[in-house]
Amino acid sequence: MKRFPRVTALALALTLLLSLSGCGASDGKTHLKFQIWDVNQRDGMQAMCDAYTAKNPDVVIDVQVTSWSEYWTKLEAAAESNTLPDLFWMHTNQILYYADFGMLADVTDLYDDVDPDFYTNHYSEISIGNASGTDGRMYGVPKDKDNVVLVYNKEMFDAAKVPYPDETWTWDDMTEASQKIYDETGKYGYMAYSDEQLGYWNFVYQNGGYILDENNQYAGYTQPATSEAIKYYVDLQKNDWCPTQAYFAETSPGTAFFSEIGAMFFEGSWNLLASMQNYPNLVGKWDIAPLPACPNPKSGSGRATISNGLCYAVGAHSKTREIALDVVKFFGTEEAQRIQGESGAAIPAYLGTEESWSTAFQGFDYMLDLDVCYDQFDDAIQYVNSATRRKWTSIVPEVMTHIYNGGDFDENMAYLQNLADSYVTSD
Amino acid sequence: MNKGAMTKLSAAARREENWGWIMVAPTIIGLLVLNLWPFVQTLYTSFCEHLGFGHYRFIGLQNYINMFQNAEFWRATWNTIYFCILTVPLGLFLSLLVAMLLNAKIKGKGFFRTVFFLPMVCAPAAVTMVWRWIFNAEYGILNQLLGTHINWITDSKVVMITCAIVAIWSNIGYDAVLLLAGLQNISKSYYEAANIDGASKTTQFFQITLPMVSPTLFVVMIMRLMSSVKVYDLIYMMVEDTNPAVTSVQSLMYLFYRSSFVAGDRGYGSAIVIWTVLLIGVVTIFQFIGQKKWVNYDV
Repeated sequence: MKRFPRVTALALALTLLLSLSGCGASDGKTHLKFQIWDVNQRDGMQAMCDAYTAKNPDVVIDVQVTSWSEYWTKLEAAAESNTLPDLFWMHTNQILYYADFGMLADVTDLYDDVDPDFYTNHYSEISIGNASGTDGRMYGVPKDKDNVVLVYNKEMFDAAKVPYPDETWTWDDMTEASQKIYDETGKYGYMAYSDEQLGYWNFVYQNGGYILDENNQYAGYTQPATSEAIKYYVDLQKNDWCPTQAYFAETSPGTAFFSEIGAMFFEGSWNLLASMQNYPNLVGKWDIAPLPACPNPKSGSGRATISNGLCYAVGAHSKTREIALDVVKFFGTEEAQRIQGESGAAIPAYLGTEESWSTAFQGFDYMLDLDVCYDQFDDAIQYVNSATRRKWTSIVPEVMTHIYNGGDFDENMAYLQNLADSYVTSD
Repeated sequence: MNKGAMTKLSAAARREENWGWIMVAPTIIGLLVLNLWPFVQTLYTSFCEHLGFGHYRFIGLQNYINMFQNAEFWRATWNTIYFCILTVPLGLFLSLLVAMLLNAKIKGKGFFRTVFFLPMVCAPAAVTMVWRWIFNAEYGILNQLLGTHINWITDSKVVMITCAIVAIWSNIGYDAVLLLAGLQNISKSYYEAANIDGASKTTQFFQITLPMVSPTLFVVMIMRLMSSVKVYDLIYMMVEDTNPAVTSVQSLMYLFYRSSFVAGDRGYGSAIVIWTVLLIGVVTIFQFIGQKKWVNYDV
């Protein structure tokens, strides 16, 4: 009886030892950790890794998913302590911060043995821009690209006897249709809420304005075309057919739309597949259309959609750097990009493989008009970003809230303008 | 001989003292490494500008100057105090009530104790999501039941009360269990004597229960106040940054989160933390002074 605790202790110690030895890679293979934030894309990423490891059996890649909200806190802490994952996704919001601090491996010359102009031959200017540092060199291999589309409820348009939106639509058509749908069905029309990428940024560029100037330095909030478009967008909530910001704070436009309470909202192409999967009862009741154009832009054609893209990055000081770079190099090839597209993960960035993404939608009873997404890349505007933006971007929603609460519009725009510019001059 | 015995005794005592130190070492080292050292670092960071990836530049008091000139900061300070005023007294009162009910002779006592403790073991994020739907102005069950149209989460005058309701609900169980332990320590003979003397239940409560449970109540109050000053997750989950009422409900810790982790300005964020620590310190000192008037340590 007295011996029992000792036996238990011994058994516990042994288990501990065994579990410790399990941590080391004793199979002689190189183990890589691939960190991503979107659980919906795990299978697609895994398929790409499998394709790589099939050719390189001495490499094992472990795909790990961390939620978006934790991802950046973790990654920054890892970068500080020099324990970055071997390879990971990079977002436009963050790439300049990491790249300019020398945290990411330079991949500009990665494909020189294949084709010195590999990137420009196979990737759009926007994709390359989204993967570049402030110094113009590339710190990530382009992964995917997206844009913003108009999602509409077909049944509500039918009920109000309004023709479906198409590429001829302007802002006026959208507001008229909203009014008619509201009058006929009592449902909300276009749901305009406080958001940049899925909201007023699109209107600003359609109107010929800009959030950051062409050198990606000074802000454009007080520029006439910009402030006019933002004001137009904010004022949409004054219509009966658009819910207020208080409403959106509790019910997101997506929730309202898929609860069949509103007829239209702007959605990113990256959410379309998940929307089809999550709302099986609504498949066939909704479709997508190009963003309506500005009817009388201050400059330009009146068409624009914000386009963002992710890229694959490797830590600059990683021990497994060379192998990880080789994996990333494979991820940028047509073969890997096609695997990514067919898995439905996202629209591949590699030119010519975009439509492989449609494969993932073929399992549904109704086919979305995905050509809208592909065609809109002609009007795409690169996601707004600069080296100093991360210092003031968190203030923007707050200032917009002041405006939605009835604060003076010009005053608040001037505040944003000064705030953003103050970081440019101080650097 | 006498002298020899003395030294021998003190050697034994010293050995015992050494063992004492060894025994508390794990806790002390843990506190130093996990609590004290980060605090020192936070203090230092509050005098710095964060350049990125753990690189800092010393800028003296600039963060504090910016902070004290910022209206948003003062608003957050007031919001935090207001939150404490709303949650602590009422929360303690209700917890004590629940504790007394759970201490009474009722059927299914174990069941009720579990039910009241349940909110404590639920993930705060999940709890808040459910409450958000209950409070939803358009489709929430609360407005449906009351037949009202109150913007619980988006009206700047109401939103803090909404958060306080959820906070009190989440904490009642935990506080009640602590108070219950205090109540159970009160000897039954006091009540028997009071019954013989013909004291009413109310008199018994104020003359016996309250004084006897006051040490526990004091501890619970300090803990509740500290955690109320540090309120963050509840408000973060309840109110998003596009909510029109966000400035009316933003607490100091919420502001800290936004400064440090969203804007990446860790120096400023640390200054907010130091300010909060001072706030907690001052409040706790006042409580310890005040306790002499009402906390009863005589058994």
